[in-house]
Amino acid sequence: MTTILEARALTKAFHGNVAVDAVDFDLAAGEVHALLGENGAGKSTFSKLLAGVYPPEGGEILYLGAPLRAEGPAEALSRGIAMVYQETSLVPSMTVAQNLFLGHERAFNRLRGITIAAQQFLQSLNFTVDPTALVSSLGAAKRQMVEIARAVRLNARVIIFDEPTATLTPEERRHFFSLIERLRARGVAIVFITHALEEALQISDRITVMRDGRRVLTEKARDLTQARIVQAMVGRELATEFTPRTGTRPAGARVLSVEDVSMGALVRNTSFSVFAGQVTGLFGLVGSGRTETAKIVAGVFKRDFLRGGAIEYEGRPVRYATPGPAVADGIVYVTEDRKLEGFFENMSIAENLYAGLLAAGLNRFPFVSLSEMKALAEEWTGRLAIRSIGAEARVVELSGGNQQKVVIGKALIQKPRLIIFDEPTRGVDVGAVAEIHALIHLLADEGLAVVVISSYLPEILSLSDRILVARQGRVVEEFSPVDASSESIMYAAVH
Amino acid sequence: MTLLDRLLDPFRGEAITIPPYDGAWKPNTLLETAAKVATLAQADNLARDGDGAVWLSGGPVLYRLAGRDVEPVATFPSAITALAALPAGGLVVVLSDGGLLLRRGKESRDLREAFPAAVSATALFAGDDGTLLVAQGSAGLPATEWVPALMRKRRDGALWRLDLSGGKAERIADGLAFPTGLALDESGAPVVAEAFAHRLVALGGGRPRTVLDRIPGYPGKLSPARGGGWWLAVFAPRNRLIELVLREDRFRADMIATVPQDHWIAPALRSGESFLEPLQRGGVRTMGVRKPWAPARSYGLVARLDAQFRPVESLHSRADGRRHGAVCVLDLPESRLVAFKGAGEVVDILNREPQA
Repeated sequence: MTTILEARALTKAFHGNVAVDAVDFDLAAGEVHALLGENGAGKSTFSKLLAGVYPPEGGEILYLGAPLRAEGPAEALSRGIAMVYQETSLVPSMTVAQNLFLGHERAFNRLRGITIAAQQFLQSLNFTVDPTALVSSLGAAKRQMVEIARAVRLNARVIIFDEPTATLTPEERRHFFSLIERLRARGVAIVFITHALEEALQISDRITVMRDGRRVLTEKARDLTQARIVQAMVGRELATEFTPRTGTRPAGARVLSVEDVSMGALVRNTSFSVFAGQVTGLFGLVGSGRTETAKIVAGVFKRDFLRGGAIEYEGRPVRYATPGPAVADGIVYVTEDRKLEGFFENMSIAENLYAGLLAAGLNRFPFVSLSEMKALAEEWTGRLAIRSIGAEARVVELSGGNQQKVVIGKALIQKPRLIIFDEPTRGVDVGAVAEIHALIHLLADEGLAVVVISSYLPEILSLSDRILVARQGRVVEEFSPVDASSESIMYAAVH
Repeated sequence: MTLLDRLLDPFRGEAITIPPYDGAWKPNTLLETAAKVATLAQADNLARDGDGAVWLSGGPVLYRLAGRDVEPVATFPSAITALAALPAGGLVVVLSDGGLLLRRGKESRDLREAFPAAVSATALFAGDDGTLLVAQGSAGLPATEWVPALMRKRRDGALWRLDLSGGKAERIADGLAFPTGLALDESGAPVVAEAFAHRLVALGGGRPRTVLDRIPGYPGKLSPARGGGWWLAVFAPRNRLIELVLREDRFRADMIATVPQDHWIAPALRSGESFLEPLQRGGVRTMGVRKPWAPARSYGLVARLDAQFRPVESLHSRADGRRHGAVCVLDLPESRLVAFKGAGEVVDILNREPQA
């Protein structure tokens, strides 16, 4: 295979901190090359160097044998290098079709023509996205699909996918992998950044592992195992497999009872209960109403005004118009979209944790106390093993796993009695996943009612004491993790 | 919850919600896999008399159950709707036409004269003091007509007390939402299963006291559990569509007037046998396969309650099962029998069906 893209000793630093340190990398036409590493290993920065987002400070990039000095992502794109970002770069106020053709409009555009072309193109990719829908109305998975479709449509010769499957359902993931196969057959070179090791082993030809900004391993995927990859990623051995449950915790008191709750077409007559001292897993595909139901319970969304059902929390009916009273009552929701809803990214860890305390009204003094904030930060960065240069570090500078720990810390500070984790390990590296899982088990052992929403079945099976399956806006089935299988859960989620 | 919410909630339709099948009500297939004891169309009431004989009714026929043999003993002019074995010996048989017969050996005495009018009883409870509690589902409809009573929202059930040594029956409660089961609480007060209100209430003088509510179906007969507590047979499930029909008075009136009763959108003791039945679309059946979690019209459910009538465990035959319409439980030293009027079977839930 001919090498299409090559990086030689590529280096990039931010404010003196080296993010990418003399990395060598090569990519052949028709190759799928997985780029793995913990959060903060430098994968995203490295791929942004390839895509022309950042100029390198050392080393060089050779594209089709010639040095590449792209002035920005647009130029890189025009040369044939496209990047699909983890955070989508679509224009929310425009339709899917308009976003697909953005930057490539003719002098006179017929909206209907664009829509039809977009429809045909999306169908050819097996993506079920309405081309006339506004991007702002789409969920994370559909946005990701549009983003992927845009890169494919531009006939790029190199496509860099930054965690493309994190928000996709298993069904959509299958479509995505078949799309990758088709692109590979056309000779497109693909860089594939992911945290799902089994995916990397399954679809890539070669795997490169980065740690602390350096390349530590590049080998053919068929010669690697999960354990070896993890060892390369974290520098030590770590259990990679989720252990299935052999027993479950007994149910304590009924903390939450949701009966026939409805919210438009998203949540339809859903009913379930949550018990103290147990982890209740909630599994469902995108569009099953899991997140929306959780947000109704936590007061983020409001259920239907008429015939919206009933929610009982600790034996009394509740209807929260805002999250504030829910937090005051001990209900905390840990969001799936931490960047948007989880923290103030330009504030420090300490300020974010203190904001959680203020929101619950648990602050000791009626004014902002820097000493209380500092003590709080010291306590919780230690308890949750948040790794940073200090509590004054801005959250935006942390890795995904540590950001998630800040969000969890902010929630736990509020002394919840019911805590709902929505995709607690999405975009989190393997080391932090194990720590977050241990924490969730600890919370249930301490008697809290814990709900874990996840679209990753092994996670649900290893965390939950009971598994609820949601489909089309309602909980349809309950399983015990001891006798449930991935197949039976998926059957309930689909049929 | 604001005061405004509390004021608005009754108008929002939120009072009518169906509790989930979880906790003690968590679904399983224990009824489906229980060992079959007998096949009998319309298998209904079970009772055991002081001599150890087990009695079973099916339609108008009274049977004696000996092992797996079902032996017909007597045929009556109308369907038997309740049986009670008396502690002092003898069996009380209630007929849907209001007949109430006390059988002791070969003697038989009709007690219907003790009531001011015909009482089509749904349940009996024989006390140790020689009194008999009689639950009357509806003052205007026979006990077998529970579906029309539900669809017409009848709330004219009553509870009677009759001294078997003689005298007139005394009505001790009325205005009940189709009482179908009877028991006694720890203070000796009668406890009534109000099927259409999905609850159990204690009627011990003063105001009725709810001892169990939010039952996810239509509660039926109560029977003592060995080791304390009670067994409750839940003869039909609740589902959203039926709740909607129960709210929509004009639709319901049209349905009653124009559609045969078998095809009403109403709970049933058995379902899924006719292509004309409602509730057959994707929500219930996908590619010919009935989904266990489907909101079906019929279901199999019995629950064990503790002495305070709190649910402890439940046994199910789910939407994809066939043992629907559980109407009575009889807890014996060597077996625990459940009669399914819908499936036409009697099973022993202490034993499992041998695997094929």
